[in-house]
Amino acid sequence: MDYPIWDSGLSGGVLMAWVAITHVIVSHFAIGGGLLIVVTETLAIRRADREMRELARRSSLVLILVSTVFGAISGVGIWVVAGLISPGAISALIHAYVWGWAIEWVFFVLEIVAALIYYTTWDRITKQAHVLVGWLYFIGAYLSMVIINGIVTFMLTPGRWLETRAFWDGFFNPTYWPSLVLRTGICVLMAVAFMLWPAFTASPGRRTDLVRYLGWWFLGGALVSYAGYRWWEAVLPDTVTALFLGEAPTLVGLAATRSFALWSLALGLALGVLALLVAPRAARAVTAVALMAAIFAFFGGYERLREGVRKPFLIHSHLFSNGLLVDQIDEINATGLAAHSGWVAAGDPAPEARGRRIFAAQCAACHTLDGYQSITEALPTVADLELVATPSSTGMDRLAYQAECASCHADVAHAEMVEMLPSIEEIRSDPDAIRELNLGMITATVMQLKEMGEEITAFDRSVMFDMRTLERGTMPPFVGSDEEAEALAVYLASLDRTPDAASGDAR
Amino acid sequence: MNTDLIPALDAAGLPGPPWLFHILLVFTFFLHLLFMNLTLGGTLMALVAHLRGGGRADHPDSVLAGRLMAVNTYAISLAITTGVAPLLFVQVLFQQFFYSGTILLGWIWFAMLVLLMLGYYAAYLHKAYRGPWLAVSALSFLAIAMIHVAVHLVHVQPERWATFDANALGVLGDPTYWPRLLHFVLAAITFAALVAAWWAVRRARAGDRVELNRSIARTGWRWALWATVLQVADGFLLLGVLPREVLLGVMRGGLPTLGPLTLSILLAIGLLVMLARATDPVEHPGLVSGTLAALTLTVAVMSVTRHQVRVLYLEPATSLFDPTVVPQWGNFALFAVLLALGLATVFWMVRRVVTSPAEGDEAA
Repeated sequence: MDYPIWDSGLSGGVLMAWVAITHVIVSHFAIGGGLLIVVTETLAIRRADREMRELARRSSLVLILVSTVFGAISGVGIWVVAGLISPGAISALIHAYVWGWAIEWVFFVLEIVAALIYYTTWDRITKQAHVLVGWLYFIGAYLSMVIINGIVTFMLTPGRWLETRAFWDGFFNPTYWPSLVLRTGICVLMAVAFMLWPAFTASPGRRTDLVRYLGWWFLGGALVSYAGYRWWEAVLPDTVTALFLGEAPTLVGLAATRSFALWSLALGLALGVLALLVAPRAARAVTAVALMAAIFAFFGGYERLREGVRKPFLIHSHLFSNGLLVDQIDEINATGLAAHSGWVAAGDPAPEARGRRIFAAQCAACHTLDGYQSITEALPTVADLELVATPSSTGMDRLAYQAECASCHADVAHAEMVEMLPSIEEIRSDPDAIRELNLGMITATVMQLKEMGEEITAFDRSVMFDMRTLERGTMPPFVGSDEEAEALAVYLASLDRTPDAASGDAR
Repeated sequence: MNTDLIPALDAAGLPGPPWLFHILLVFTFFLHLLFMNLTLGGTLMALVAHLRGGGRADHPDSVLAGRLMAVNTYAISLAITTGVAPLLFVQVLFQQFFYSGTILLGWIWFAMLVLLMLGYYAAYLHKAYRGPWLAVSALSFLAIAMIHVAVHLVHVQPERWATFDANALGVLGDPTYWPRLLHFVLAAITFAALVAAWWAVRRARAGDRVELNRSIARTGWRWALWATVLQVADGFLLLGVLPREVLLGVMRGGLPTLGPLTLSILLAIGLLVMLARATDPVEHPGLVSGTLAALTLTVAVMSVTRHQVRVLYLEPATSLFDPTVVPQWGNFALFAVLLALGLATVFWMVRRVVTSPAEGDEAA
């Protein structure tokens, strides 16, 4: 939170999602593709099967074009984007696991050199040497996942690392093995989805065989993925599963994501068995597209779920997504954020301007002003309260109440709320009074977020926190002095652009 | 200097002593430079050669362009692969400065990813379709070099961050920006040109299309000569425009800083002498191999000097911080062992491939 702020004009989270989604799709394909291609080539040699050889050969072009550069660049892209939007967070992760990444780089070098050689030596070296290169490619690629899986799973379930801070305690954390199994299955599914395309161009006599051959891989990949997913879910702490499982999940959206992911896998499995194994003759481009969509939906759903249940942490119970360490909460509350960050301290000292800088430092990692996770939509405005107070035959007033009031004032019914509010005429004639009211509510919320920090520091630091016990447990706490909390509230309140009814001027 | 703008050191501490990361950063950056030189220098040179060849497939310049781009099939991938490690270690050692520098450039830094993809795929498109793709590729890589020089100069000057925050493009006005960029571009061209010459000499000596390869070798040799002439001039210019404190730091640093700098200047002059000694490199294969080896050594030594200059730039800022060290020796040892095993596996694989040629039904 003491770094300069990148004002990109869009949500850092969305940008990261685009880069990360691209990377995981490509990287899993690169690993699964390596396995399928080299096994296919091995079988082709044993059976002296030219069509299988051609399938391996044609697939290897896609592998090299996609994985050696697109996979590598998007992988670097994750660092680049993380460094831009959340530098403190990626720095903490890299300082804890630099040797893990360094080891992954070794396997990555092996993977890339082998991939380049593999593709360019068809027809030029002996079959045995070529297959050997293919296997070395797969080993390098798979081992790179074996390493990175430790770091990725550590972020959600740091396990005993929270207590010992020992590298391997974090690496072989509770979700390490289930996640590795799940990702192995996904790698195979990805590879089948891509390899169906070259399989479709095989000679008519062999097309059916090859599609069915890939169908068996698909079946295996789907079953392994499902087993890995269930195992992953089973080892998650109850405090995490309660967020998206059970009759009353805390995060309804994530519960829906889970259903979506599992139904996508089920659909993909059914379609895969029918179209690739039972009736491979019927498999067409549209089949491959549908399978791809189902796999991406499953994989994307799982990744969304994994990221979602980790909220608001980057490393669970240790580091928040805006770069704030749990260990820093007390210190920053005592000294103020400006003492911690020169970028917050520098510039116009007026509360609104200071508040904008505090927003940039603490909130902008997740919230945009008007786009994804829009902060202005979450804040009460004069227009919102006008809507709540204006009787509506279409129920707009109730909807506005649900959206703007109910989450904090669940004990106050809509009718009571209308009673408490000034009349619609009063609101229009004196909107500044409503602005004052809103500023008070925003200030109270920020102070509530500050108090949440104090509750968090009282948690047992040696185990994963149960964030459900907190009022706003999906957000990081506010940190800083009370004056800074008020400055942030002033800035947030200033985002209300409701025009004055009398003059029509927007504030 | 407004030191308030410099973020705190990472609370976790360094997972090894600083010297270890300095060594790893310089070593892996040197590896990256070798492939980066082929990528940037090779693509720029291929573009000129391609235009001079005028689309005639048998023209030596066209063959040269084709060879450089064939090498780049590997070099671009390996430049990216070897670039990952220094990017990792720079984040460990200089995270406060590096992240701040990249954030101040924002989209410009992000654009590197897009340009990298564009440059790589344009190189493939050139092979398949010709057209403007080679120019797209070369300009993309040149733009990436410009971005890297910009990030470097922003991150080493925290005293100017407030200015860069107001106008990031102001870095183009830094007195060292253009000489530094030219220093890298000329080195890249020299390296790619010498590699092309070295290969052509080998082919000619083996009796393969002797006159064609002689012509290519001469072209590569000439490019290397003139790029080095300009490089020596630019190198002294760059030294002259360095901030006074940095230059004084180099001069007062004794053997550790003056040694590599003097050695690289001597090597550069030596390169000039070697390049000027022959007009027909095919007749002097030993000289060609020796020149390429000397150039590689120069790149290695200059990597050290570059790093020392960075450290001197940052010295007033880094001296304010005292990093804690929480070494993970066991994990470092595992990395070192795996690195040795990994490189051995790569060499073994390459050897096996080179010694297993096959044709027809015997081939894969």
